[in-house]
Amino acid sequence: MFVPPEFVSMYLPAIYAGLIVGFIGTMAIAINRRELHILILTDIVGLAMIFVVSAVGTDLAEALILPGLVVELAETLAISEILITREMRKIEQDPRANLAKSSSIFPQAFSLDMEIMTTAPNFIALVLIGYGILLTGFTGGAVAGGGIVFYALSKKARGLPVLMLDGIAGVSGIAWCLWIIGFLLLFVIPQYWLLGLFLAACGLLLKVASKVGLIGLLMREDIDNE
Amino acid sequence: MPVISVPLFFYFGIVLAIVGSIATAWGPGVSDPVIRTFNTEVASIGVCLVLLCYNHTLALLTLIATTVIITLILFRAIIRLEEMGADV
Repeated sequence: MFVPPEFVSMYLPAIYAGLIVGFIGTMAIAINRRELHILILTDIVGLAMIFVVSAVGTDLAEALILPGLVVELAETLAISEILITREMRKIEQDPRANLAKSSSIFPQAFSLDMEIMTTAPNFIALVLIGYGILLTGFTGGAVAGGGIVFYALSKKARGLPVLMLDGIAGVSGIAWCLWIIGFLLLFVIPQYWLLGLFLAACGLLLKVASKVGLIGLLMREDIDNE
Repeated sequence: MPVISVPLFFYFGIVLAIVGSIATAWGPGVSDPVIRTFNTEVASIGVCLVLLCYNHTLALLTLIATTVIITLILFRAIIRLEEMGADV
């Protein structure tokens, strides 16, 4: 009733493809011994997850794929940090080894010196944040976060002091509270569904925007170090 | 009469995802983590095609964005671990 008829015939192939891809990924993980390779192979298992979820074929699938992808991203980030930290600790304990200067994503010094960085950051950041607030929800959060990242990057490129985003965890907590209250309202008093929807949307906006901004501020240390 | 055949894209995406995952798992030269990371891109392009057939626009955009970020994170980890002389 809710699934379009052409998606129904695509259900079984997608499920089988997901199972095959997941089997290949997990077998390779079982065979491999090195942690970094296992981390790369978990990416394949994540793709199998997307196959199985997308076979549902409705908006529900879309709503389930988004958090799955974001969680996978956070997982990869955390595990790679753990691997690096453990290796650093091993080197620190070995008195003969000398710890090399830490490197960044970019092999060479990466200085952002484009004209748009000096002429337009305020305007573009304002437009992006305003449009993101108008959109609300996940997409709005991503757009507004992009505005924050752009503003921080261009300020840094011009050598000006950048706003400090301290206490961002508090914003994140407030955003979760808004989201949960909105979700609860949908079930407890369904006639106020619009209020609940907007609470949830604004909570997600705050959450995603602050997270994207935070990632941008962290990456800023990698960019522009001469 | 649609010009683009959706099942063609769908099955091509499935084949690409399976071939890409096999290449990531046992393909040539995968003892090098950089090559292994590149091979995951093949599988993720296949998943992109499948999502395109299902009209999952937001999921497709998020998948592209997270694939790029995950590749950056993995490269950073590979570079740092190799610089520290770890067994990668």
